[in-house]
Amino acid sequence: MSTSFELNGSPVTVDVPADSPLLWAIRDSLGLTGTKFGCGIGMCGACTVHVEGRATRSCITAIGQVAGAKVTTIEGLDPAGAHPLQTAWIEAQVPQCGYCQSGQIMQAVTLLADFPDPSDADIDAVMNGNLCRCMAYVRIRKAIKAAAAGMRSAAHA
Amino acid sequence: MLKRRLPRLLAALLVVAVLVIGAFAAFAWRTAIAPIAPPAAASFAAAQVEQGRILAAAGNCVACHHGSAGALAGGYPLKTGFGTIYSPNITSDADTGIGRWSLAAFTRAMHEGVARDGSHLFPALPYDHFTKVSDADVAAIYAWLMTQPAVRAVSPANTIPFPLNIRALQAGWKMLYFHPGRFVANPAKSAEWNRGAYLAEGIAHCGGCHTPRGALGAEKPDVAYAGAALNGWIAPPLTAANPAPVAWTAAALATYLRIGSEPQHGSAAGDMSGVVHVGMAALPDSDVRAIATYIADGNASATRSAGDAAALARAAAVVTSTTDPDARLYATACGSCHYAGGKPPGDARPDLALNTALWLDAPDNFIQVVLHGIGVHDGAPGVMMPGYGRGFSDADIARIAAYLRRTRTTLAPWHDVPGRIADIRKQSDSAS
Amino acid sequence: MHKMRDAVGDAVPTRRGFLILAGAAGASFGFARAFASVEDTPAVGVPAPAPSDLFEPTIWYGIAPDGSVTVNIIRAEMGQHVGTALARIVAEELAVDWDKVRIVHVDSDPKWGTMVTGGSWSVWQTFPLYSQAGAAGRIALIEAGAKLLGVAASACTAAAGKVSGGGRSVAYGDIVSKGSVARRFTDAELKALPIKPVAERKLIGQPVPARDIPDKTNGKARYGIDAVLPGMVHARPKIPPTRNDSKVVSVDDSAAKTLPGYIRSITLDDPSGTVPGWVMVIADSAVTADRACDLVKVEWASGAAAGVSEKAIQDHGASLITGSGGALVVDDRGVEEAFGAARTRIEATYTTSSVLHFQLEPVNALATQVGDTWEIHTGNQWQSLILPTLAKALGVPETKVVMKTYLLGGGFGRRLNGDYAVPAALAAKAMGKPVKMLLTRADDARFDSIRSPSVQVLRMALDADGHATAMEHHATAGWPTQVMVPAFMPKGKNGIAYDPFAISGADHWYDVGAHRVRAISNDLANSTFRPGWLRSVGPGWTNWAVESFMDEAAHAAKVDPLAFRLRMLNGKGGGKGGGTVGAKADNAGSAPNAVGGASRQAEVLRQVAARAGWGTPMPKDTGLGIATTFGQERDMPTWVGCVAKVRVDRTSGNVKVVKLSIVVDAGTIVDPEGALAQVEGGALWGMSMALFEGTEIANGQVRDTNLDTYTPLRIGDVPELDISFIDSTEVPVGLGEPGTTVVGPAIANAIFAAVGVRLRHIPIRADAVRAALA
Repeated sequence: MSTSFELNGSPVTVDVPADSPLLWAIRDSLGLTGTKFGCGIGMCGACTVHVEGRATRSCITAIGQVAGAKVTTIEGLDPAGAHPLQTAWIEAQVPQCGYCQSGQIMQAVTLLADFPDPSDADIDAVMNGNLCRCMAYVRIRKAIKAAAAGMRSAAHA
Repeated sequence: MLKRRLPRLLAALLVVAVLVIGAFAAFAWRTAIAPIAPPAAASFAAAQVEQGRILAAAGNCVACHHGSAGALAGGYPLKTGFGTIYSPNITSDADTGIGRWSLAAFTRAMHEGVARDGSHLFPALPYDHFTKVSDADVAAIYAWLMTQPAVRAVSPANTIPFPLNIRALQAGWKMLYFHPGRFVANPAKSAEWNRGAYLAEGIAHCGGCHTPRGALGAEKPDVAYAGAALNGWIAPPLTAANPAPVAWTAAALATYLRIGSEPQHGSAAGDMSGVVHVGMAALPDSDVRAIATYIADGNASATRSAGDAAALARAAAVVTSTTDPDARLYATACGSCHYAGGKPPGDARPDLALNTALWLDAPDNFIQVVLHGIGVHDGAPGVMMPGYGRGFSDADIARIAAYLRRTRTTLAPWHDVPGRIADIRKQSDSAS
Repeated sequence: MHKMRDAVGDAVPTRRGFLILAGAAGASFGFARAFASVEDTPAVGVPAPAPSDLFEPTIWYGIAPDGSVTVNIIRAEMGQHVGTALARIVAEELAVDWDKVRIVHVDSDPKWGTMVTGGSWSVWQTFPLYSQAGAAGRIALIEAGAKLLGVAASACTAAAGKVSGGGRSVAYGDIVSKGSVARRFTDAELKALPIKPVAERKLIGQPVPARDIPDKTNGKARYGIDAVLPGMVHARPKIPPTRNDSKVVSVDDSAAKTLPGYIRSITLDDPSGTVPGWVMVIADSAVTADRACDLVKVEWASGAAAGVSEKAIQDHGASLITGSGGALVVDDRGVEEAFGAARTRIEATYTTSSVLHFQLEPVNALATQVGDTWEIHTGNQWQSLILPTLAKALGVPETKVVMKTYLLGGGFGRRLNGDYAVPAALAAKAMGKPVKMLLTRADDARFDSIRSPSVQVLRMALDADGHATAMEHHATAGWPTQVMVPAFMPKGKNGIAYDPFAISGADHWYDVGAHRVRAISNDLANSTFRPGWLRSVGPGWTNWAVESFMDEAAHAAKVDPLAFRLRMLNGKGGGKGGGTVGAKADNAGSAPNAVGGASRQAEVLRQVAARAGWGTPMPKDTGLGIATTFGQERDMPTWVGCVAKVRVDRTSGNVKVVKLSIVVDAGTIVDPEGALAQVEGGALWGMSMALFEGTEIANGQVRDTNLDTYTPLRIGDVPELDISFIDSTEVPVGLGEPGTTVVGPAIANAIFAAVGVRLRHIPIRADAVRAALA
């Protein structure tokens, strides 16, 4: 069965069963491997992508659920890889093994969309679903706050 | 003694039976209405066709009449307690659809539940509601149907067993439960209320899901809109018995019916998603408001709203611990999206303490949404939830259900959640 | 001390090996292009292309005509930015700017020597080698540059990738393009090369952006799971009920055959014995392989472990300690006498649960045959360990197996054991085409080489003044080295071989009088699962016992736990019984790695106590706990002190870690940002294992296989961290693991300080705290 949607701004069609996970359509059928497989049950966040601009766990999202929708992966977040969160991530030297970081960044984008000036409690609650096994959490928090500050001042400029 | 009198008794009973059957047959027998040559599309006024399109959408005809051959081409299986009924083709195809049906035949079907050939229709077609639809509106729906492309498609045969498959017996059902007649306005109520009542009771047939049914499948008028279990979902009560912590006011209902979600109550999922995104979507705002007004009048929201502020405050005060294992499971599986940080409830970050599903007597709706998620086309526009059914065990889902019921509501725990999860999984597996 | 590490050290080409590569007594530094330009460098994680006609007289780095320096890294990148740490050692001595440096992770060609990444050894082992290689290159370039400039070499200097002299300069790239570098160094010359004075270092010890990080923020980084080959098929294994001795009785794939894309199920015949009882379900996509696997029914005759529980393993461990077996790792004379004469004798038993690696990228491997050579594309920490096994499994010589190493989505020791490469290789052989095997998360957990559960009994003899006069430490657990590389086990004082990675830490630097340390292999653990090396290995749980016990002993001696420790970290060693000396000949320490010995451990402890406000009054149910370790091994000590501040909720039993203060002395810090990141992550791992992780063996398998019930620390659990490093110019030692070793006991000691209950098992669950308080 074929399903069409928009991936990083381009129309795509995949021919897989409607209950196939979006993650594997993105990785295997469409060849974008920045989105990772970690737990397969929606509890590590490594597979986080945006559907209609909001973070979702692609490993448990059936492809049929996103027919016609706009999907964005880490590769499509910013053409130059220079989204304020990506820049902040590099500045704070966040990644260690890096495997979870695509998901962390995609989730953090939604965090800042909803909480432009996030408190520690906001960061905890929204980012708790993203496991970093290297436990680079101190830097994740630091980078989120730095990016938030940068985005707020850019918005007011 | 008895033995000798028995043959005579039997003979007497037989006579009575023959007389009853004869009378019933006379009552049940309906004439066929002569087939016509399919009317030309151009014979219908554009305005009438457009009116029909809106009404057909409001009735969500496609929900049941869709099939692999097309939106109105039939074949969709309706699983009933008595067997499976496959919806018929209602495209304008002359041989397999209703192309040879005259307006009179169509109107009789809508108002009386009788097919063109005179056979009785199963009440799977909600003619108990459609009978309230005005002649003009039925004619408009007819006009729209007849101007849609003809699709040649024959539905599979129904699997209703003997003797229930005897169409004439439907006449008996009608005798007992069916009250034909057009909608009668209530002069004591506003025009908006009456418009809403006309739509809700008629073409939108809200009671079809939200009113409990009796043993033979008829809606029970004495408990109209009291809520009912259906296909593994709960169609919640639309009356004062609705347990939502924040009252379903007309405004809240209007928002919900218009966009598919209301931040203080929840999202439209399951069959209700189609009602909103296919059905209500076609209606103008005024009609959606009218339905909301009518429903809100019957649910005591005006008085119940007094408790809203307390419910909202209680919801905002909920803090998720991360040390209790169940709370931790919720925090790590659900918190990324459901945390609202004390902000006013919004569609993108639904507040589960306000969600109607958690307050219902049965966990069905909660389980359905956790298992299957909410697609991008369901619920609030652009907001989706993935389904946890493949990844989570029944025990995981039961833990989250129990945890939320315990911490987000003031109600007693649900009974046998794992059992319900297993049932619903089985049901959705067999449906797929 | 450790044969395994020594073996590793020997196999890494030393200065001599470095010279041999040039085939003569001297190395010739002619530099060729490794890559045409900076832009040609592949994305992070992509294995290096096979060497073709490139002339690479030195294997460690090359300089391209554009001046870019490509440094070859034989260590696996798994989050420690090892390439950045190691390449900068070359760059420092070579005198090039950091933005000219490129990093390539190489394949498993024998020329690289033994390839292993673990034990926090990388910087410590590589530092001298790369320093010399860089310095030799600099001198060769100065000499060649001087000729081009027409000035004497002695009048030239090198800086920022240029040789300058006589008022002019020439770039390294230009020197290389002219092909004018020709220089030999004798072994003696190499050894005598001047290494930059500490004060002149420009890169070492300075914050430098890690090369691998940008690609880890934009999706370009390539991990094993991202490997793709044309024509490959996908596999998911049916994992048998026991790790060992399971046999396939029957396979029924009739249901799977209805699935479009399902290809076949292969019962593996594994001559290496690595994956007994495995069935590989092959399909045209990962999703189909996954779903087909659920439909394939396999009946096994399972091994004896099918009925084994965690409790059985632990009970067995406790009974082993009661017996007299095992290896004596430290065996001073006079232990019995000291206990006989003691005023106070204390004893306590400490236990730890099974722990999963749960590296976020489930294990996977892509195997293919190219010509007569097998290529394994995967992420791995110890290529040299698994290559012989792969060769045996495939029935080919070891030279016909090459590993193409990708980035690791977490190592933590799981990928030291490359067993997961074997089933992929066998399936590729059976299919005659490339096979990519990916384990689901639950499969990964069931196939994990877990950190074995452990039992430890500690005893101490105290004299009338509360001074320790003797100590015994008996530890038992499953032994990874015994199961996977028994040849690497050293012998104890009693001639019995032992796994250093299951006892290190017990041989501490405290002066406790007569000291005895006994390591016992838990054979039931070894046969039930394959014990693994897990971040910080033995010290991750031996110190749980040592440092909890020191706290108990301090309270028994009625001495402040800080003061109690400091007076035993006095630099004196051996046994007071004056007997034979164990592994801990001298707590005063020795060059090169352990200069200062116990005095440096005492210093980190004093500093961390001061930073954390040790001794200040705490609010109700809040307490400070202190602990100290020496990292991984006595031969390579990283000195760590930690104070944990916790608050205990008496009603729920919840333990809230408010703050962790940590002071580390790791000698020279090559990469300060990376060092801090490693200690942050390591410390939180320690906290995670102390409070949030832990599973148990049930019916021969781990009970928790995914994040619904296995619950590692999350961002919301992170306490305030205060981490600092001792400013030092001593030999750089490891940082990946020491932070992990110290946090657990500090937390338990803090709980005792807060509410007066002693928890002797990790993980510490709320219900255990509640029960202890009741």
